[in-house]
Amino acid sequence: MSGGYKQQPGGGGNETRKDGKRVAGKQSFSPPGSGGSKPEMSPRDLDFIPETVGGKEKQPAGSHIHDRARTGTTVGKRTTLVDANAKVTGQAWYGDDVRLPNAIIGRIVRSPHHYAKVKSVDTSKAEKLPGVLAVATGDDAPNSFGVLPVTKDEHAMAVEKVRHVGDLVACVAAIDEATAREAVSLIEVEYEVLDSIHDMKKGLEDVDEPIHWRGKYHVGTTNVQKRVFQEFGDRSMVENPNASYHGKWKFMGVNHGFTEPHAVVAHWDSNGRLQLYTPQQVPHYAHRALATVLDVPMHQVNVIRTFVGGGFGGKSDPFPHEMCAAILSRKSGRPVRITFDREEVFWVNRGRHPSHIEVQMYADEEARISGFDIDALIDGGGFASFGHVTSYYNGVLATAPYELGSFHYTGARVWTNKPASGAMRGHGAVNTRCAVEVGLDDMSEQLQVDPIDLRLANLLPPHSRTISGFRITSNGMRQALQRVREGSDWDNKFRKLPLGKGIGIGCGFFISGSGLPIHWDPNKFPHATVHIQIDMDGGVTVHTGAADIGQGSTTAVAQVVAEVLALPIEMIHVRSHESDTSPVDLGSYSSRVTFMNANAAIRAALEIKEKILNAAWDALGYHPDTLVLNDRRIYYKHDPAIGMSYLQALHKAQEDKGALIASGAYRSPPMGGVHKGAAAGLAPAYSFSAYVAEVDVDIETGLIKCTDVWAAHDCGKALNPMAVEGQIIGSCHMGLGQVLSEQMVYGRTGHLQNPNLLEYKIPSVHEMPNVTPIIIESCDPEGPFGAKEAGEGPLLPILPAVVNAVYDAIGIRVNDLPLTPDKVWAAIAKKMKLEGIDDPADLPVPRLDFSELQSKLVARAAEHETRDKRRQKSEDTDAYVNGVLFGFDPNVPLEDQVEGWMSSDKPTPEQLAELGLAGTAWLKEEQRNMGGGN
Amino acid sequence: MLMPPFELHRPSTVEEACAMAASLIESGQEFDWIAGGTDLIPNYKWHINTKPHVISLARIEGVSTISMNEIGCMARLHDIAEGGNAHPLISEAASKVASSLIRRHATLGGNLCLDTRCFWYNQAEEWRSSIDWCHKCDCGTGSDCRVIPNQNTLCVATYQGDLAPNLMVLNATVHLIGPKGARSVLLHDFYQLDGMTRNILEPGEFMLKITLPDDVADWTGSYRKLRVRESWDFPEAGAAAAWKKGDRGTLRVATTALESIPRRHDEEVASANGDVKAICDAIYKSTKPVNNTALPPRYRRNMIKVLVKRACEE
Repeated sequence: MSGGYKQQPGGGGNETRKDGKRVAGKQSFSPPGSGGSKPEMSPRDLDFIPETVGGKEKQPAGSHIHDRARTGTTVGKRTTLVDANAKVTGQAWYGDDVRLPNAIIGRIVRSPHHYAKVKSVDTSKAEKLPGVLAVATGDDAPNSFGVLPVTKDEHAMAVEKVRHVGDLVACVAAIDEATAREAVSLIEVEYEVLDSIHDMKKGLEDVDEPIHWRGKYHVGTTNVQKRVFQEFGDRSMVENPNASYHGKWKFMGVNHGFTEPHAVVAHWDSNGRLQLYTPQQVPHYAHRALATVLDVPMHQVNVIRTFVGGGFGGKSDPFPHEMCAAILSRKSGRPVRITFDREEVFWVNRGRHPSHIEVQMYADEEARISGFDIDALIDGGGFASFGHVTSYYNGVLATAPYELGSFHYTGARVWTNKPASGAMRGHGAVNTRCAVEVGLDDMSEQLQVDPIDLRLANLLPPHSRTISGFRITSNGMRQALQRVREGSDWDNKFRKLPLGKGIGIGCGFFISGSGLPIHWDPNKFPHATVHIQIDMDGGVTVHTGAADIGQGSTTAVAQVVAEVLALPIEMIHVRSHESDTSPVDLGSYSSRVTFMNANAAIRAALEIKEKILNAAWDALGYHPDTLVLNDRRIYYKHDPAIGMSYLQALHKAQEDKGALIASGAYRSPPMGGVHKGAAAGLAPAYSFSAYVAEVDVDIETGLIKCTDVWAAHDCGKALNPMAVEGQIIGSCHMGLGQVLSEQMVYGRTGHLQNPNLLEYKIPSVHEMPNVTPIIIESCDPEGPFGAKEAGEGPLLPILPAVVNAVYDAIGIRVNDLPLTPDKVWAAIAKKMKLEGIDDPADLPVPRLDFSELQSKLVARAAEHETRDKRRQKSEDTDAYVNGVLFGFDPNVPLEDQVEGWMSSDKPTPEQLAELGLAGTAWLKEEQRNMGGGN
Repeated sequence: MLMPPFELHRPSTVEEACAMAASLIESGQEFDWIAGGTDLIPNYKWHINTKPHVISLARIEGVSTISMNEIGCMARLHDIAEGGNAHPLISEAASKVASSLIRRHATLGGNLCLDTRCFWYNQAEEWRSSIDWCHKCDCGTGSDCRVIPNQNTLCVATYQGDLAPNLMVLNATVHLIGPKGARSVLLHDFYQLDGMTRNILEPGEFMLKITLPDDVADWTGSYRKLRVRESWDFPEAGAAAAWKKGDRGTLRVATTALESIPRRHDEEVASANGDVKAICDAIYKSTKPVNNTALPPRYRRNMIKVLVKRACEE
């Protein structure tokens, strides 16, 4: 036998073409373990085996608990995504590709009103239309649902009210789309139109008819869905600051803009079980919600995740149209497919919240950051979605990477009569991060120091705690800043470029998985579980519920299993589509998948490895500790000639038992404080990033062109550098859209004016800058092989980097995103008027003369660098909490050593008098305190 | 999005096309012409003013000529931009239309006869029903204009074609043909201010070709287009300028995407005595965009000064 397995007849012995590529249908490796044409295994790839276990891979951040599981097979290597072939050849099956026999088409009847009571729905005419097989209304599904257990405020279709234009009222299923559309037009709905709310500021006011009613927890009779107050530290530190920044920011809402519109196919099979095909990021939550709404046990529902044509947070809620398809299918007895138009995608939305964010920041005489005051009012639209969490994230994710003297946050999320906002890449952290990073730039200008040095001298070290109690483990912030400074030639450009050209810096900080699973006690049930099964053929089947939404989670799982078992990645088959076969996984959100799921996969793979090595021990007589597992062969460490093939060992291990199976799980460690909301923002690890952006600003038109970006992201360990770079470049693109052109525009009448991809302006390839991705590896102690997230964090820094670069170019800060040319032009015109200039070419450009603080900061940053290196390698394991920079003892509770150090989650009566915009939500009482609320 | 049903007619000669149009008119049937379809098809998919019949010009031979002095109605924008046969100014303008994919389909005739655009109008049917329609496509409700309520019956949807101002400054003539015969007019007399009627085309008439004066090769100029993205986007404002090489006194300026018609600004140019800044100011004064495209009208109006200035740069 030669040339490996033949999967197609004919062909010669060569398995590679002249151009070096693999011949289609032929494996590029020999029959596993059987010798074949390549009886010798490939040598161990020492370049990808860590130093501490005898390899050559450098480990500047020290050793890792998973080092012994490294075999040099795939981790750290540029690996093509395992589903790439399916996607580039058009064989990937997305939601609308699912074709079941006898399927019919569902369409949804949507509200033409912003806010109205549904008085009656007359479906009789539609039902009589030939070809219509089912019609459903809110009466068919009275149970409410929602992605978060605390805010279940959605229904499959309106039961009482519609809350925005496009809200679901009824649905129909017919033999084809044309008939379904006609049936939709025949459904007569009687509405009583109510006064709608479009301005989020109005959402803070008491109204007659709040959009939802939360009973005794309702805040007054306002539309406040959630309010947050958090204060940590010593507030007296912000008095008499050396520099301060006060910025009032406005951020327009943005949509995910994924390529694939929502699509779902529902089918009740011959046994009466629901089979639901949907491109879900979080199939498990959809599974739960379907069971609730349809009143069937969860085991009678099989959620089949199709390929997902982009999610970015926009496919992570359980959706009403998924319920509609299931209801229509149950009624008609036929499979029902619903595919959205792009308008419908915008109506279901769940994009980033439109926000008003006010930031006040202070620095003291040593250029330490003595305080952040953040006030965030966010527009939730018609439903809660993930908003409860977003309300916290807008504040708490600003508590790092800098050491703070004090932190004060008030947030409120209000309902308005718009499509619901929800989670979107960089969930809740993006807008505040932009404001804060621009504030730092502004303060550095007042202090006359370099903004990068200001940051470098105020960073929290590895293995520390933030002011809000988050546990920071690995931290590559410093290297990220240093690398982008170097890469961009920052020192020769910043404040030195001519008018119209600018360079700016921005940083990011994001969770790598949310610490608490929302549906259960984390101490009782894991976040992620992975099953591995190997039968006689030697192929490895991995069952996981992790949803690959294009980020490459399937590849990551295949990689870590291949790495542990030293098998070619082609031998790993990941099955992740069906809830029937996949162990529960919480889904692809909060950048949790690689961290949690790959950790679970490593555990399962290690168990399999142990079984195989034990079998080899039986056969060879050498203890597993002295055996090496490498490329389909197991051999004695000191004499590689003594060994056996992987397949021989596997068959030995399978004697009497058959297929090997193993299960691995991941649970997060206990962490976090005890204050209200302490769980929000908790994560087993955090990612850090720093970007430098260069822009050209047309001073006559206000058009901004971002030309270059140096993007450094600390992902702990790049399991697949190619995928990480893809995430960095993709994040740049997405963030650039928000900072330059993307916005959901609600016009004079409150209608969304641009629900299409021509007028919702996602940057094209022409707008893309040259992005230089820089991967920082801080080797997280708890991450799989040291890895952390790379999916969301890289989006954060691009916004402030661009805004700061625009200031460097034209000396103007625009606090209203996106920076569309009209806004920039208006700001230029205003400045020209103010300065008495006629020609924009005479605009003053900011320049920088260092104050004496600069050298102090450089010295402090150098000291901190030494400190951080020692902490990173665990040479220094002393406790470090936020506050040490201000001279406090990390071993004594701060409350005990600083008078006035507080940690509170409710405003005091004195504070009520001076709250920001969102903070005014605290002026209202909850119904239960007013004796009302039924 | 579901394409509404219509009957497609595919004549292979101009005469056949005119005869088809005549017979449809005679039987009281409404129809649209289709060339590249990049404007009509999206509108149809949104169920905007759909007709039961569509006559395609795609099979007619001899109407896609591209030369210095003549361009046929079915000439593809890609070929105008890349072919090297058209006037450089026309090639430049064609290369700035939409995206490369669209330019492969889109035609000269379609671009010149582009439907006017408005964000109250270019929306899906469901969306338009939620605003109770608008008078450009009122679905029988007799509804009002949404841009400027309570005005007269004039539609203020914006003409956002790129080629028209460029052809105008080169003094192009359009040649129309229909059941009642052929006629020719200067392009700057082709458009009509009402965004609903848009141009002088009569029922059954279509644009056959444009011709340019014999000396057009001696003319030079440039086109400036304001848009948020370098691809896909319609102009938010556009300015074309042309002059005979070596003779700035011949300067002509035309603008697009500011009103319901593209417009040549002969009076403004004449009043300015060759001073570009004065031309810019005069055009600024005479143009009044409304709020119905992506960028606000005040900004677009101000930008016309910059665009005209840049277009006039030698």
